[in-house]
Amino acid sequence: MKNFIKKFESYAFVSPLLVFVALFVLIPIIGSIWTSMFRDVTFLKMKFIFLDNYGDLLRDEGFWKSLRFTLLFIAVTVPLELIIGTAFAVVLDLKIPFRGLLRACVLVPWAIPSAISAKIWELVYNYSYGLANYILLSTGLSEAPVNWIGTDIGAFTTVVVADVWKTAPFVALLVLAGLQSVPSDLRLQAKIDRANFVQTFFLITLPLLKPVLLVSLLFRTIDSLRVFDVIYVLTHGGPGGATTSVSLYAYKYFLGGDFGYGSAISVLLFLVAFVMSVFYIKVSKFQDNL
Amino acid sequence: MKSIFKFSLILLFAFTACAKKTPELVFSVGGAPNELDFWEEIISDFEKEKGIKVRILRQPTDSDQRRQGILIPMKAKIENPDIFLMDIAWIPQFAASNWLLPLDEYVQRDKYSLKPFWKNILDLSDTYKNNIVALPVYIDAGVLYYRKDLLKKYGFQNPPSTWSEFLKISKKIQKAEREKNSSFFAFVWQGAQYEGLICNFLEFASLDGGGFSFTGKLKINTPANIKAADFMKDLINKWKLSPPNTYTDMKEEQVRMFFQSGNALFERNWPYAWGLHQSDNSEIKGKVAIAALPYFKGGKSVSTLGGWHIGISRFSDSKDEAWAFMKYVVSKKVQKSFCLKLGWNPARKDVYSDAEILKKYPHFKDLKNVFGNASPRPAIPYYTQVSDVLQRHINSIVAGKTDSKEAFNQAEFEIKNIIERYE
Repeated sequence: MKNFIKKFESYAFVSPLLVFVALFVLIPIIGSIWTSMFRDVTFLKMKFIFLDNYGDLLRDEGFWKSLRFTLLFIAVTVPLELIIGTAFAVVLDLKIPFRGLLRACVLVPWAIPSAISAKIWELVYNYSYGLANYILLSTGLSEAPVNWIGTDIGAFTTVVVADVWKTAPFVALLVLAGLQSVPSDLRLQAKIDRANFVQTFFLITLPLLKPVLLVSLLFRTIDSLRVFDVIYVLTHGGPGGATTSVSLYAYKYFLGGDFGYGSAISVLLFLVAFVMSVFYIKVSKFQDNL
Repeated sequence: MKSIFKFSLILLFAFTACAKKTPELVFSVGGAPNELDFWEEIISDFEKEKGIKVRILRQPTDSDQRRQGILIPMKAKIENPDIFLMDIAWIPQFAASNWLLPLDEYVQRDKYSLKPFWKNILDLSDTYKNNIVALPVYIDAGVLYYRKDLLKKYGFQNPPSTWSEFLKISKKIQKAEREKNSSFFAFVWQGAQYEGLICNFLEFASLDGGGFSFTGKLKINTPANIKAADFMKDLINKWKLSPPNTYTDMKEEQVRMFFQSGNALFERNWPYAWGLHQSDNSEIKGKVAIAALPYFKGGKSVSTLGGWHIGISRFSDSKDEAWAFMKYVVSKKVQKSFCLKLGWNPARKDVYSDAEILKKYPHFKDLKNVFGNASPRPAIPYYTQVSDVLQRHINSIVAGKTDSKEAFNQAEFEIKNIIERYE
């Protein structure tokens, strides 16, 4: 009996969380999968079509283009964020003057809602009144203003810079927390053994940071996969659809009243995220590291 | 335990708050803050006059978000909002989704006259299955603004009527003006990747076979369309008569501000810009005039029809009150006040001959014809999806990224898939 209560008790303790996860995560995901198997278009009769939405999706060039863009976006932003974030964290971990203030400053971009930070970057990149062109023209580096988001590469770069600026602090925060857990006597010992700063970092600190880096990698990859607001504000998917992310593409379909197709896009995105997460966790032997 | 109790109490309150109350008329409308403030005024007048309470559901300025704000309650079939404002391009989707209340019954019951409205607009945009489903609140059609002082200065009597005349005038004046003002451009228009690009494109595609036809054989990849898109690209790339950021930044407001700062000779915009161009803090006050948009030789001037319409939700719980409010909004008195206060172009013809209006807006005489001939966008329920494909490909041509023939080919292919999906 006592055993039973004990067992029941543990379920009781996790139940609020389970209810929460079911209500806000599980049910919406199942709902999306369910909807994605219907012709759920506001102006057509609802009909169960099983996988037809996915069939249409596979031959939709617009979707593939947006998926290619999104994957490339992840491949560029996530490593940059990890490197810059870790570098910031290491610097902020040193005993430097104004450390508290600096730590707060680094976190500011993360605290700003992404739509607003994208608007700030728009003020930098804008063709007619942007800061970047103002500097270029007033220093005489260029004769005419540059249309930063006018080419594929330009638009891609602006979006990447805005996103890295915003999210590198998040990595910095996680890594900084991870650094606290690296025993200081280990580093001290390395110092006694005459390891220099670089050696200590790469041979002692970094391996111990691996679990934290993995968590950041996972978070950032999944987050970048559904990138929306930065692009919606900065380029709106242009020029010529070159920076249309999968989320933005799905949004257009929801707006046009095709909930089935929009859901199918979301489900595919979910699958990509899921496969990537499983891959990360398996490859890194995540569980052993924790 | 206590917190769980509290939590369930909060849930209980949340649910009871959703419970049905007595019906009230809810009007969903978005727009600039000054427009929303004016709607509040109109509503309070209406309440005093008819004794019907109206609650305004404020929405943002952004048109995608305004659409989303109507789409979700309609999809959920809930009774509020009862009545809302829609962009003309949404009506085919809303009507085909069975969200709009057919109004013929009400029109006949009240012997309400539809005469004051443009017949072509009612027929093309507000009618679904032979039933009126919406009424126009204000109408838009693309027009050409030009600097009459500059034309005069360089010895041109009239604004250009064809694009070749347009090019001649533009090149000459831009070259001369550049000597004093390095940021001067001859022509500004809407070229960013959004719905406005399609509106502009349709006006360039004025030759026979231009535009998009969905009745009968699909035609997208036509010589007229290729010529139009190439012309748009050349304005930026070849002749450099339009600013290089046309295809990235230029939407209505960016174009209006560019022209209003005195840095352009011609501007394509909707009629709303007139009132702002003529305001006291405008650099070009008194120097602007309006003309019909130019055309290619052998074609005729085309204006894309825009504007906002009002419709009643089929799920409304106060349809009679909504109809009373709708009649009020399109009444001559209110239409006139929109025009005087906000500079909107009334949807009623009788306002355009009103003495007080003509005194304030002498150019209204010319606009009357533009509206009568304006051409609508394709009235298909899946227009949003089609427009998205076209926006991407036309923007890509204008940006000089893809060859026009190839882009229209690809667009036609993608649109065929879309049609197959929805027909």
